[in-house]
Amino acid sequence: MTLTLTLQTQPPARVRADGLIPERLHGLAASDVARLTVRCGRQPLTLGDVFEVSGTGDEQLVLAGDLRRVDGIGGSMSRGRVLVEGPCGDHAGTRMSGGEIVVRGDAGAWAGAEMAGGLLRIFGNAGARLGGAYPGARAGMTGGEIVVAGEAGEEAGAGMRRGLVAVGARTESGAGLRMLAGTVIALGGIGPEAGLGNKRGSLVSAEVVEPLPGYGFAARFRPPALGMQLRRARELGLSVDDALLEGTWARWSGDRTELGRGEILIFDGRKPDDSRR
Amino acid sequence: MSGYVLGTTEVADTFAEAFPMRYARLVITAETESWAYEAARSATGFATSVIGCKCEAAIERRLDAGDTPDGRPGVAVLLFAMDREGVGKRVIDRVGQCVMTCPTTACFDGLPGAERTVALGATLRYFGDGFQASKVIAGQRFWRIPVMEGEFLVSESVGVGRGVGGGNLVVGAADDPAALAAAQAAAEAMRGDGVALPFPGGIVRSGSKVGALTSSSMLASTNHQMAPTLRAQVDDTLVPEAVGAMYEIVIDGVSEEVVREAMRRGLHAAAVAGATHLTAANFGGKLGEFHFPLSELRDPP
Repeated sequence: MTLTLTLQTQPPARVRADGLIPERLHGLAASDVARLTVRCGRQPLTLGDVFEVSGTGDEQLVLAGDLRRVDGIGGSMSRGRVLVEGPCGDHAGTRMSGGEIVVRGDAGAWAGAEMAGGLLRIFGNAGARLGGAYPGARAGMTGGEIVVAGEAGEEAGAGMRRGLVAVGARTESGAGLRMLAGTVIALGGIGPEAGLGNKRGSLVSAEVVEPLPGYGFAARFRPPALGMQLRRARELGLSVDDALLEGTWARWSGDRTELGRGEILIFDGRKPDDSRR
Repeated sequence: MSGYVLGTTEVADTFAEAFPMRYARLVITAETESWAYEAARSATGFATSVIGCKCEAAIERRLDAGDTPDGRPGVAVLLFAMDREGVGKRVIDRVGQCVMTCPTTACFDGLPGAERTVALGATLRYFGDGFQASKVIAGQRFWRIPVMEGEFLVSESVGVGRGVGGGNLVVGAADDPAALAAAQAAAEAMRGDGVALPFPGGIVRSGSKVGALTSSSMLASTNHQMAPTLRAQVDDTLVPEAVGAMYEIVIDGVSEEVVREAMRRGLHAAAVAGATHLTAANFGGKLGEFHFPLSELRDPP
């Protein structure tokens, strides 16, 4: 039976739950897990004090309850699956390199920060710096996929080097800040000041936006790679309209204040007349 | 083992001899089925015999939009060469010259997960002159190469599998039209998943033998034993009395079983379509690792 931790009482301070990943809990009985300690503010906290623990550790870990004060869920995991039944705190899935995390609610800031692989799915909204780089780090996300059904906060994909961030609604301002490469898709449109300092990254806005002055209009076309990425986002549960797959996108190249090899792709709603082909 | 009769068709007591080869499967897509087919036809042109063309290639099947990586109509192509390096060189040549150049196309690996791979986009990307970009989608890397029309999307590498080349069936009938009709029916029946018929229409009229009677420098020359016009001229003719024309169908496949079953389909289709004599080409069993006795193909598919 899968190991399940159900929050019974709200912890007195924010909890760091980085170690609660399937690979570390594999084979442990509920009683063993209940005796484990985590950091709660500046104090150690025994899991059994706030969680009801059941099952035995295997490839899946279930965390249930209002976990907005629990940070770092699934952090550094490399395999297995973590299912969060409810909202969670900051740093979910940070530096993960494999496996899957599913959050059936909102996630706080820094979700998927510096993630290197695996899949992070958030059914609600995500906070700021989704897939981003921690202060002092040059690169944020370096691989893997993040899918957010709702909105994403400020500076989604900041410093991103590789991977896919797909957001079902809108990203707040500053998406793709100092992006090195990788792709951020916002089906509800990217917010203002997106792509500042972008080197080779792709920002995709399904709604019309005004790019920064560092971007220059190139052409309208159907980017074949974007079509595959949108199909992939659909596979991962986002609602991607067929019009986005069939229509043309305006390509803006930039940021010319940096390397200038990045792009902002903006859906322009047109569908080419294929009957002329 | 002995020869046998299928209806009125005599099946010789012999076998086809085939060789191990390496192959790649390319999935070529385009905005329309016709452009995907055009690119596939071009990419599989001049690829009938590994001796003269350095590879053997053919269209394997058409693909519906729902069966391709980018959701567009496509064509699967099989390309065979003697070793992995040969596959690698030919794939780059043909995709670079025949697929990348063709309007609206993209090219993908049709053997994802294969143990061995050869570079494709990883090499072709240099055509992008520094403006190329890569994307990793669902764990696979693709290259976006800017071209005059937009972008050519190509897989970074393609898988290489172990296949079988040189399976064959020889179809004979009283005259040329009858033999060709039977050969066409056989070729049509033989096509399928994992099968490549590299010659024009799947049929070769100039079957060859190893070396030559008159020259030590020639790698191959006409199969005089199966040339009806030489029946009275050579002592070792293999053309039966009632046969006036013969065609060979060469089969490359992704496995021994695939080749055997393709031969079985072809043999029975040819018999139904009017072949009077069915046989196969071999080298006495000394050269090829795979033997396909016609006696084992007696049961219909």
